[in-house]
Amino acid sequence: MHELVEFAVEKALELGADYAEARFEEKSGTSLAMKNGNPEGLEVLADRGIGIRVLVNGGMGFASTNVLTKESVAEAVKKAVKLAKAASKVRNEPIRFSEEDFHEVYYEVRMRKDFRDVSPEEKLELLKKVEEEVKATGVNVPMRYLMYSDWMWHKILAHSDGAFVESYIPRVSLTYNLVVFENGQMEQAPFVQRAFSGGLELLEKDEPWKWAVKDVQALKRLIYEGQKPPEGKVDLVISPEVAGIAVHESVGHPYEADRIFGREAAQAGESFVKPDMLGERIGSDVVTVIEDPTIPNSWGFYLYDDEGVKARPRYLIRNGIITEFLTNREYAYKLGQRSNASARAINYNREPIVRMANTYLAPGDYSFEELIEDVKLGVYMVSFNEWNIDDRRYQQRYIGREAYLIENGELKHPVKRPILEITTRALWSSVDAVGKDVEMFPGTCGKGEPGQGVPVWMGGAHARLRDIPLRRP
Amino acid sequence: MFDVNEFILKKAKELGFGDVVVLSYETNRRQVRFANNGITVAKNWHERKVELFVEKEKRVASTTITDLSEENIERTLETLLSNMRGMAPKEDYYGIAEGPFEYRDIPETFDKAIVELDEPNEYVETAINAALEEGAKRVAGVLYTDHNKLYLTTSNEVEAFDEGTGIEISVRAFIGDLESGHGTNSVRVLKKFDPESAGRKAGEIARLARNPEQGPEGKFDVIFDPLAFANLLSYMSFMTSAYAAEAGFSFLVNKLGQKVAADGVTIKDIGNLPNGYGTRKFDDEGVPTRETIIIENGTFKAFLLNTSLARKYKTETTANAGLVMPHAWNIVLEPGDYSREELFSEVKRGIYITNVWYTRFQNYVAGDFSTIPRDGIFLVENGELKPIRNIRVSDNLQRILENVIALGKELHHIHWWEVNTPVSTPYVLVKDVGITRATK
Repeated sequence: MHELVEFAVEKALELGADYAEARFEEKSGTSLAMKNGNPEGLEVLADRGIGIRVLVNGGMGFASTNVLTKESVAEAVKKAVKLAKAASKVRNEPIRFSEEDFHEVYYEVRMRKDFRDVSPEEKLELLKKVEEEVKATGVNVPMRYLMYSDWMWHKILAHSDGAFVESYIPRVSLTYNLVVFENGQMEQAPFVQRAFSGGLELLEKDEPWKWAVKDVQALKRLIYEGQKPPEGKVDLVISPEVAGIAVHESVGHPYEADRIFGREAAQAGESFVKPDMLGERIGSDVVTVIEDPTIPNSWGFYLYDDEGVKARPRYLIRNGIITEFLTNREYAYKLGQRSNASARAINYNREPIVRMANTYLAPGDYSFEELIEDVKLGVYMVSFNEWNIDDRRYQQRYIGREAYLIENGELKHPVKRPILEITTRALWSSVDAVGKDVEMFPGTCGKGEPGQGVPVWMGGAHARLRDIPLRRP
Repeated sequence: MFDVNEFILKKAKELGFGDVVVLSYETNRRQVRFANNGITVAKNWHERKVELFVEKEKRVASTTITDLSEENIERTLETLLSNMRGMAPKEDYYGIAEGPFEYRDIPETFDKAIVELDEPNEYVETAINAALEEGAKRVAGVLYTDHNKLYLTTSNEVEAFDEGTGIEISVRAFIGDLESGHGTNSVRVLKKFDPESAGRKAGEIARLARNPEQGPEGKFDVIFDPLAFANLLSYMSFMTSAYAAEAGFSFLVNKLGQKVAADGVTIKDIGNLPNGYGTRKFDDEGVPTRETIIIENGTFKAFLLNTSLARKYKTETTANAGLVMPHAWNIVLEPGDYSREELFSEVKRGIYITNVWYTRFQNYVAGDFSTIPRDGIFLVENGELKPIRNIRVSDNLQRILENVIALGKELHHIHWWEVNTPVSTPYVLVKDVGITRATK
């Protein structure tokens, strides 16, 4: 396949491209679903193809094909060049890429338990284990949807500025939707996922059935003991899971440079953040948010991005100050910077665009007990269901699934659906203390047209927010 | 590609599979994305692939084959077979449809002019210029052209072919950071394509939305623009699948025959809708697509089904396979008899929402959700529109349907990034919609 990738780059240059990039991707794996105890069947994933991106006279063209012959690839290259030429005529300023150091590299994530050697039958056992453990709780869970998936993601990237990057990254994941029905009431834990880059041993060690059991027990308790949350201004302690969704939505997304410059305006939206906001205060000085693709075995893991730039941790907020945007080469050039390797594509047939990887609220120095001990009246939000944010990433809302009242420094009964609806600046300015232990949670981040759902981790430490106007449903 | 299908079917039979569905695609899709009044990237996708579904003694499996060489096909089938050995059967599997069927051509689903269209950039420029003429400063969006060929062969005597085209545009226009509007146009034949109207609507809403003030919260009568209501119905379309109901993702669970909407609300799925962006001649089992009434005059009538789920529930398929998961083709909310002006004059004090995004559910079975208005939002007071911003619709899907009090008389066919399943809907007036906002 290496020859075909190189052929595509050379062919594009021959046809007049100023820059040419070819990316071969192959994904192979299996997925299994189980609905209410019934195995729903096996799906075998075997997808491969090549995508070619070119710049001609400052216009960008992209074409892909899954017919991996020289003729077909040459045809795709021809189309990409033609599209780029036509696009260059409808542009106010030409697209330029930042200068970077490029490498010829090969890397892979090793699996201790290689899922390719494990039968679907044995993988189905993981789902059965969730079923059994959930049933063993005695909680009535009439709707149970479970899904397992794994795939090996092989990529070969080459471009005319000198990168040649080949990688093998395996990914395993288990997702569940559980509906608890007790005492005439119903609560739900939807789309809960446990996921890693690596072998099956990571999922086994994580014991997703324990998360499922914890969820259904918490929901049952919520039904029987849950009370209305307090309303009005209280203190709020958010868990690493809730901190994770909040940093992803209100820090990661608005710091994406393509969004800041309007490229995503028609779909994922723009941003309240402007280029001149670097150095501006957005949160209290205990707030530091890091974006790091290089965390071993993380769901959002990579070492080189899809433009061949070497990845590193990125400090989006340091002690409350906006310090860095997420960039690819196009927007690094516009900002007069180097790219920080945020270009990602979900498949060979998608262009690399600015994306997050693993975003987290950096730890502080409080234990959980210290975080709640001087809260007179407040709520501890452990997990969430409904969440959303406007397309400038400023007005957001998170509704607690598992949540508890905090009274005079102690955790009390569960509370039902506390609602945090707040602006980004108010949210991060209200944090007065951050816990010392970091936990991460997987998710699929949506962006792009056509849509690209990329694997990400979100998380961080516990955080305490003071004087937060909480709502009830 | 029928020769490939035949080969796969023959080999699958030799290996002892029972039900087999081979669905081949040849697709050519072109995209032009634009932002800040210029093209950001132009793309072309060419794809040949086969979606394969096999069954053996109630064990089911599926895969997509993209390397169509005979040796890869044989290897893939053998892999599926070996993987299925030892797996537990899907006890509620009841087979696929018995063919053969007869198919009719559906009007306005294929146009040679789209296949032969060399250069669609002029349509992008038309849309951008229309928005700028209305007063927009920045225009962004996306244009697609589609050409698809579909070849279906099943072990139950089905051999079916469909060829379709499409062209669509989605345009968002901005004046400042907070003033924007959105318009779309999705059609299957070139002569009906109207990129100018999409650009003009986007620009016009942006112009009307200038200098918005913080919006109120509480319960309001809300006029949903077709773009906004299509979003809600597109999310709901998933919930109309019997599969989603079984899996705990639908507020329609256990509500067959019950009242779930106002009397005036009739919602259908129309698989053979002329000029519909989701229209196809047949479903994934080869059953000719048709119209299925989901909600009739407020009463929930039917889930969308494939043959296996239909047999499980002792009824007929609705021609919505998806072999594992039935799904809608084109959701249609039947229009009412209000002109747009009459609808707005019904509202003494309410809110007009032109678009929403980020619809998320707190609880799928209960139907509790929120969604965020984007682009122009307006307070409607005695026929006057006053721009507002920063509000959220926080309510329940069933309650929204129950509170529909008036429907416009014109249908608008909507399909874009946020409306994945195409929806035809009029303007909709809903009473007492929950509106919230951030308080800090």
